[in-house]
Formats: sequence, C-alpha cells, structure tokens
Amino acid sequence: MDLLASPEQLEIAASAAAFLAARWPTTRTRALIHEPVNIDGVAWAEAAGLGWFSLGLPESAGGVGCGLADEASLFREIGRSLACGPFLATVLGARVAAFGGRPDLAARIIAGSAVVGLVVPDPGAEVDGSEVSGRLELLDATDAELVLVAGPARASLLAMADLGATTPVGCLDPTTRLVRVEVAGVAPVVSVSSQVDPVERRGQVLLAALDTGLAEATRDVAAGHAKNRVQFDRPIGVNQAVKHPCADMAVQAELAWAQTLVAALSVDEDREDAELQALTARVVAGHAAEGNAAATVQVLGGMGFTFEHDANLFVKRAYVLGHAFGGERDVLSRLIELPAAV
Amino acid sequence: MQLAFSKEDSDFRDEVRTWLAEHAPRQRRPRSGTAMRDFDLAWQKLQWEGGWAGIAWPVEYGGRGLSLTQQLVWHEEYAKLGMKPIDCRFVGLSHAGPTLISRAGPEHQAFHLPRILRGEVVWCQGFSEPEAGSDLASLRTRGVVDGDELVVTGQKIWTSFADLADWQELLVRTNPEAPKHKGLTWVICDMHSPGIDVRPIHSLDGHADFAEVFYDDVRIPLANVVGGIDNGWGVAMSTLSFERGTAFTVNQVQLSTTVERLIVLAREHADGRGRPLLDDEEIRRALARARADVAALRALTYLGISRNAQAATPGPEGSMMKLQYADLSQRIHRLAVEIVGPRSIGLDEADEETSYWTDRYLLSFGDSIGGGTSEIQRNIIAERVLGLPR
Repeated sequence: MDLLASPEQLEIAASAAAFLAARWPTTRTRALIHEPVNIDGVAWAEAAGLGWFSLGLPESAGGVGCGLADEASLFREIGRSLACGPFLATVLGARVAAFGGRPDLAARIIAGSAVVGLVVPDPGAEVDGSEVSGRLELLDATDAELVLVAGPARASLLAMADLGATTPVGCLDPTTRLVRVEVAGVAPVVSVSSQVDPVERRGQVLLAALDTGLAEATRDVAAGHAKNRVQFDRPIGVNQAVKHPCADMAVQAELAWAQTLVAALSVDEDREDAELQALTARVVAGHAAEGNAAATVQVLGGMGFTFEHDANLFVKRAYVLGHAFGGERDVLSRLIELPAAV
Repeated sequence: MQLAFSKEDSDFRDEVRTWLAEHAPRQRRPRSGTAMRDFDLAWQKLQWEGGWAGIAWPVEYGGRGLSLTQQLVWHEEYAKLGMKPIDCRFVGLSHAGPTLISRAGPEHQAFHLPRILRGEVVWCQGFSEPEAGSDLASLRTRGVVDGDELVVTGQKIWTSFADLADWQELLVRTNPEAPKHKGLTWVICDMHSPGIDVRPIHSLDGHADFAEVFYDDVRIPLANVVGGIDNGWGVAMSTLSFERGTAFTVNQVQLSTTVERLIVLAREHADGRGRPLLDDEEIRRALARARADVAALRALTYLGISRNAQAATPGPEGSMMKLQYADLSQRIHRLAVEIVGPRSIGLDEADEETSYWTDRYLLSFGDSIGGGTSEIQRNIIAERVLGLPR
C-alpha cells in the first residue's frame, strides 16, 4: 500500500499543468464562450499528440498503457485549469471504440480528429439497452462526431448524424455547450459491455478527478483571497468565520483526491469493491467541487457574485458535471445496494 | 503507487489475525473502575507475552518496531474485533512512553518502559487546566524547586483515568517570569504522592473516565524532571508519538463497521407502516452518504500514512482526519439512534443493543472536543496547510 505519486505521475501532472496553462488559460476558456464551438482545434490536436486521449488504453489498442491513477492525475489538472471541451467523453469514447471492435474509430478519436460529446439522459430515457430512445441532453457535442452514453451495464457511442435535428440551448455553465435531442430507437455505432471494459466505472473515477481539480482550484482562490484581502487593517483570513470554511475546503479537497486514488487503484487492481470505491469517489469529489466553489463565492464576497471573477465558472462547471453518469441520487442508490468495502 | 499490500505485509496480516483470534479477550470489557483497569492491563500483559507490546516502539526499547504500514495492518485487525480505540493504557503506550524514549535518561527508561510494556502500570496526562485548554501554554500549576525536590501546587482537569493511574506526565510552570512557552517543566509524577486529590468528573454520558486533579505541595524528586527545568514545552511536543496517525485507524475502521451494522439494522427495523427503514428515502440516502464518507476517511488515512512513511515529520493529515472523523461520527451516531427508534430514549442496560447505540450517541459529542477541539484543528489546517494568518 503506497498512495504517494510515482515520478511518472508527477511528470504527467507537471507537464499537463504547463500545457494547460499555455493553451487553456481561463482567459482562453472565457474567449471561447463567444465562439460557435468551444473546442480549440489546434490545442485539441496538440493534446491528442501528447497522448491525452489514449493514456489509459493498453498499448495493444494503440494506447500509452498507463494506469487509471495516472489518467486521474491528468484529469485532476484539467479540472483545476477549468479547460473546456469534452475530454472525459473523448477518452472514454476511445475505449468504447477500441474494446467494442472498432480500432479504426478508436484511432481517429485518439488522434483528435473524431470528438466525442457526452450524453446526459433525461429521466425516462432508455440508454442501457441495444437501442437508445428518449430525451437526451448532449454536452460539448456541437463539434462532435459521436456522443458517449455510459451506464453500469454498457457504454455506447452514437453517431451525431444518426440523432436527427438537435436544438442548441444555453448551458448553465457558459464554458460547456449544450444541445437537446429526442430520439427513438437509435442503434449505437459501437457498444461495449462493462464486463469487457468498465467504461462507466472509469468515467466515475475520472469525473472524481476532474471534481478534485475544481475543488483544489477554488480552495486556493479562497485561501489566497483570505490572505491578501485587508479589512479593518487585517487580512480577513484571521477571522475564524473566514478561516474555518477555508480549512473545510482543504479537508474536502484532500478527501476527494485520496478517495479518487483509492478508486483508480481499485479499478486498476481489479478489486472486488472497485465499483463501490468508484461511486464513493464520485460522491465525495462531487461534493467537494460544488461545496468548495460555493464557499469560495462567499469568501470572495461581492467579487464572488460577479461574472468577471472566475469563481462562478467553477460553481457552474461543478454543477453541470454533477449530472454526468447519473446524478448523486442515482449514484447513492447504487452505492447502498453494493456489498461492503473489502 | 499501489493499493494492494505487499506479500510481506499480507503475510504479516495473517499472522496478526491468527494471534488476535487466539488471544484477544472475549469477555465484555468492564465499563469503569479497577475492574476496567485490570482488564486493560491483563490484555496488555498478554500482548507483551506474545511479543505484541509497543508495536510502534523501537526494538531497542522493548517494542516491536513495526513499519507504519504494519502498524496500520495491526490496528485494522485489532479494530475489527471491536476493541476500544483508547483505553487506560493509551497515555503510557502512545504519549508518555514515547516521550521517555526520545527525551529521558537511561535510568527512567529502564525503570518505566518495561512496566508500561508489561501492563503493570497506568499512566495519565496532566496537561490541561481550567484556564488552559486549547491555549495549553498558559497553564498556571506551579512547580517550585526546593532542594532536590519540585514542589507542585495547582490544578489539572480532563485527566483521563486519573483515579486509576500510577504515574502522570505532568506539565508545570517553573518560571512565571519567562514567556509562556519558555517557563514550563515536564516531570514524572507519582500519582500516589501525598497532596494529590483526584475528583472524578461525570461526563454527559454518565460515566466518569476523567477527573480533576488537585496538587497541594506535592513533592516530586527533581530527578524526575525530563529535559531540564523550563524546557517542558519542547518535551511535551516532542512526541506526537511514533505512530503518526496509525492508531487513528482503529476509530476509522470502527466507524465503517458501525455504518455496515446500521445498514443491516435499517433493513431489519420497520417504520410505522411496516416498511423497512432502509426503504425510507431519507434514511437510505443518509446511510449511502455515510458509507461513502467512511470509505473516503480510510482513503485519507492511507494517503496520510503513505506520506508520513516518507516524511521527516508528520504532516497535518492528522488534523484533517480528526476533524473529519468527529463530524462523521456525530452524524452517524445521531442517525443510529434514529434508526433504533423510540426505544433509544430508554436507558435500559439489559437491552444491550439499544444501550450501546445510546451510549455511542452521547459519547460522540466528545469527538469534536477531546484531543484538540474541531475549532483548533481547523486553525491548524488553515494556518499550516493553507498558510492563512494567525
């Protein structure tokens, strides 16, 4: 048992952080709000070139062959940077294509030429069978060739071309694109059972890693403000009413990352309780992301309530991500039915 | 990075499990008094005979010298048996003993350490005072050097197991003129000395595990001072034990066992309409959340132990664990009495199951106070992790 980052993981995180700072600073993410598509094609291709979309795929499937904990280190940095674009669905989509018998498609996703958006099914939509029906919310699918629908039993890729006319809708998170569609009996392009590859479970873990990054970023914003903002001749962070929420943010972010690592390793090591650990990571990190962002708005005071400050973007990103792979209610009701942790 | 334990550590786990299965006491632990002391010390003697005394202590001082990971394994297996995380052996094994190892001379070590390991003595801690709680360094109990003796007058409070203790690690003010951290002295106090008056304090659960201790011209040999006169603060802070948070594992494992028991209980207990409580949306969600939170607390413990195994000094994970544990324990034990239902308003000791939950619920109020309040933990985290101003 050793949860310390390996030199490789530190390297993945450091190079990802540097690349994100150069290509996806928040100013760029904000500028993309006003573009028709929120994916920066050049940066996306560069990310593909760095192996981001195939980091956790086995080398036999054209991937880099890293573990899920390594992939989580990357996603933590993506979350922290607030970079926009369907990183999560694209990485998982490559797995669906690779393990579902479409290496050609996997290769195009890995290369960055086929982008994969994410399906958030509305209640009542049928997504776990051989065909997909019902109302779907599609995240970051405006420039996508495919969308990913992932549930506990199977994960599939649908072709955007098969879905018919979609309706663009403003998204609560302005850095995420949203379109809606209602479909009846759409057959996936490719599908993979979770027994072959637990795509959704991996998705929960990577989502937890993204959430951890969000929680850490807002913790740092709040702590920085508490240190530097002077009122009544003292930094506001001397007041426990400010200091203690900051401490709670630190605890929540730490819990989120610790649990994300345990979940990632549980999946990598194929442990009996891997699903429980993955769902736990999702719940704990989701709370950390949303809770820390909300607390940061409060610590910032009036500035936190403005659109100009980035805090609101973290609140919104965390809220929207909270709907991926089943909302908290679904995740908790699965979690309580599972056997106890080992 | 890996979650699986090494072959060596897994074999060690088997060894621990086997030994504990054969030797751990099966009878119910007496809840108070000398019967409780005898029980705890008998169990310590058994561990000593089996080579399991002082698992965190260095081998040259009679301990087992286990690695942090193996300490973790020991505590995990120990906790699964439902053993108390803290009993009257705690101060000797986890604070006073380690302090003697790192700061005392060979004579004190040779006298006291074997007695602690063999389960012959109980130690208590004389640190807190009525006017010195979180602000420990402002303590006022006076120690005046008189020839080759230190004469102590004053009062301590919240001293766990003071009425059962033989020895005390006592912190007194020997120099009232010096700045508050500089005038303190750490001394070994014989609890049977004339002039010591122990008055038990009843806590809100009705038991009296701690006490006020009054000192009226108590004469302690100067030779019992460890680390020198006026150097007591450094001595008291020198050992936040060798365990670096591994002993905390017992609390964490037991909380996780508690949640699993509550899930079973909520399946068995019905609400007013005959429906299992687990089908109640609110209870179900609260239990699911509790299950996730205790799993994450374990992850935090593992991460902390992984770091501490490499770091020269323990990080602030201890404060994070303690803070999170207190919050969770209170939430979970409040949920427990809700699941138990209206019977939980009774204090019927014959109803062992119910009284267990009621007792745990009341005790959980202390989790955010004892050993450093949650407010102090938050200060530590904010200042040492985030660098916020004091």
